[in-house]
Amino acid sequence: MEPNQPKELSLEHILKELDQCADLHHRSFPELATDLVYFPHSVDNTLFIQELLEPFSRIQRSEVDGMLQQSQFVKMSEPKTAVVGILDGKVAIFHQKGVYLLDVSSPEARSVQPSETETVIAGPHDAFVESASTNLSLIRRRLRSPHLKIRKYAVGEISKTAVYVLYIEEIVNLQLVEALEQRILKIETDELNDGGKLTQFIEDKPNSVFPQFLTTERPDVAVSKLAGGRVVAIVDNSPTVVCAPASFFDFFSSPDDYYQRWALGTALRLMRFMALLITVTFTAMYVSVTTFHYEMIPEALLRTLAESRNRVPFPPVYEALLMEIMIELLREAGARLPTKIGQTIGIVGGIVIGQAAVQAGLTSNVLIIAVASSAIASFVIPSYMMSASIRLIRFGVIILAGFWGNMGLVMGLALIIIHLSGLTSLGTSYITPVAPMKPRDWKDVFIRAPFSMLRTRPSQTKSSNLVRQKNRK
Amino acid sequence: MDKLWLIVPLILLLLTGCKNDERVLEKLGMVQTSSYDLLDNNKLKVVACVPVIDPESPVRRELLTAESDSIKEARLQFSRQTDLTVVSGQLRETLFGLTLAKAGIGDYIDTILRDPSIALGVRVTVVEGDAGELLSKTYKPHSDTGRYITHLLEKESSSNSVPTTTLYEFSRDYNDDGIDAVAPIVKDAGKKVTVDGIALFVMDKYVMKIPVEDGIIFALFRDDLKQGEATVNLGEENGKPVIVMFSSLSGKRKVKVHKLGEGRFKAELSISVQGSVLEYTGEDKLSDPATRHKLEEQIAKSITDKAEELIRQMQQAKTDALGIGRYVRNSLSYREWTSLDWREVYPQIEVECRARIIIKDYGKYS
Repeated sequence: MEPNQPKELSLEHILKELDQCADLHHRSFPELATDLVYFPHSVDNTLFIQELLEPFSRIQRSEVDGMLQQSQFVKMSEPKTAVVGILDGKVAIFHQKGVYLLDVSSPEARSVQPSETETVIAGPHDAFVESASTNLSLIRRRLRSPHLKIRKYAVGEISKTAVYVLYIEEIVNLQLVEALEQRILKIETDELNDGGKLTQFIEDKPNSVFPQFLTTERPDVAVSKLAGGRVVAIVDNSPTVVCAPASFFDFFSSPDDYYQRWALGTALRLMRFMALLITVTFTAMYVSVTTFHYEMIPEALLRTLAESRNRVPFPPVYEALLMEIMIELLREAGARLPTKIGQTIGIVGGIVIGQAAVQAGLTSNVLIIAVASSAIASFVIPSYMMSASIRLIRFGVIILAGFWGNMGLVMGLALIIIHLSGLTSLGTSYITPVAPMKPRDWKDVFIRAPFSMLRTRPSQTKSSNLVRQKNRK
Repeated sequence: MDKLWLIVPLILLLLTGCKNDERVLEKLGMVQTSSYDLLDNNKLKVVACVPVIDPESPVRRELLTAESDSIKEARLQFSRQTDLTVVSGQLRETLFGLTLAKAGIGDYIDTILRDPSIALGVRVTVVEGDAGELLSKTYKPHSDTGRYITHLLEKESSSNSVPTTTLYEFSRDYNDDGIDAVAPIVKDAGKKVTVDGIALFVMDKYVMKIPVEDGIIFALFRDDLKQGEATVNLGEENGKPVIVMFSSLSGKRKVKVHKLGEGRFKAELSISVQGSVLEYTGEDKLSDPATRHKLEEQIAKSITDKAEELIRQMQQAKTDALGIGRYVRNSLSYREWTSLDWREVYPQIEVECRARIIIKDYGKYS
């Protein structure tokens, strides 16, 4: 949806092009023989007055020409660029000597605030905002290096959204940048207004449940990915930036792991992988054990389990699915509602579902424990995208366990692993460093070794420059 | 990946039959303890104990009784008596009555082993008297006699006063050359169930009992052990019995076999035991090393005398429960061993017991 080519660079043609834009301002200064055309809401008023209106009120018609020679006024030669400039929020000055653009645009933007989705206990709290220039400044401020290169693309037939691709020249494998560039150029869409949306256009397997690129709202994460030799894409108007390539295990590390002592970081990381296992298998295990494998129940648990199942009218599968759906509904309701009401929902839901359902004999209390544990475990996963994917997959595993017991459970896990093994992220294996096996990388994936041991960048980046801190002994 | 979407539904379709294997927990009658007795008419009396899981029910267990020719036939009879599906996957304890144990329990062990849902950790226990009656009786405050017996035996065998006898161990010793199986014996002592001793078998037939007081000595000479307690009576001193209570035992056993020719053997069983003295009612000062060594020797002598006495009884009963035969077997070629009738040779062999006792510590004062 390119702007139609105005026949010539003149006021009336351009006004015709921007016809029926009620918010367009056209001011004439007949005594100066100039006209201003601009969108007032995207213009910074103070600047506008200081740079244009004040001088215009002071000078004579003869001096306008001289004034427009100043560097901030850019002379236009193409009618199309003039239109695009106006749309970008610049002021177009029509004078007999030519058409000039003055950049006094200041788009409305949220101020930098802490991230709501990726909180850390220690460490920087600032998060990306919607304005790409602010986001770029947050990154530039952290990487004061000329090697940080930025490429810019315009994506979206109508929206012409700016997409920036960032990388550190000395570290990155340029093939990755090229691959990402290729994919971004291939995008065909009317508008693109979010990083999460971008990932779906450029992922290797868009139909997979799993996110293949890491999305983050935190500049410190983006910077550490860059420094590790990864590529980062920033979409204008979105606080979500995309880091590529990503491996499955990247989604389980939180910046907190690095800001706290390494022993603690390691423990938390191992706990998260345990949480992954719990969230996928716990409810399914309950279902398969109570439906098929009574032999597996330890003697001490037998009576507890059997008594709790005693009054339940449904088979375990339906019971489990019911409770899981209930929990998902609660979560979704909490997410959609304003925080104040959301908390109420949590309390009411928790008490009503938890207590009343057991008292009424609709579910067994052991299942409530299993479902709640799985839900809590799924929220431990730092990346919301990943935890949502895993919660979705859980339903499949529960159904399999309900139909075929442990056999189904194991098949479900096998299918998940087969699927994960087949995924790629920007052409690299999704489950590095497990396959291909790179034990050297494990110390920053499954554990968080002390910094003195983290001398190499992740092999997934295929960088030619894998060793960090070469001079340190 | 595309193939996967074909394969998965195919597997799932093939597995639809598994729906019939459903065993929903609350619909199951899970036999936890079962007892087997031989009746006078040579029929088998089987009693199975199923936990009642209704929290509002006053009883905690349901007893199913059947008289039949075989165990699995009994299960069919159980099925007719209850609204639950009778399953044996939660079986933890099998009790064999004395009559049945004397007649031989091999066939029944075999049947229980053959059921894939039954674990190898199921306990095998002999009951002095009628096992079914013991199981049917309620011992206050225990609501479930089966559980009570199981936990009693678990606890007792952890201190090695009776051997841990599970299905696995019983069938291993039963099928192995040169060792005979053993099992703990329990009996009804009125208000309680008590552990009564150790049953020794010849093949699968019960032949003799080792009283429970001598259980630890039997255990010391049967295998290495890591834990145990023994009380040794050292006669009298000034009209008071001298008792040494020996605890935290850890023992190592060694067996040496000497061939004396013409199918005669001599076995040396030597044990080395370390332990702490918990109780000592004698007059001597244990802090004096010389006295302590004297005491160690006294204890050793008392233990070896007892052990040799036990072994003599075993030889009379032709049961090689200590597994001396395995060491004899290992000292011979395969042909020599197969041509040797161990069952007949065993009562004739010389057995010498040696014990080395080390008192690790003896308490604060004395």
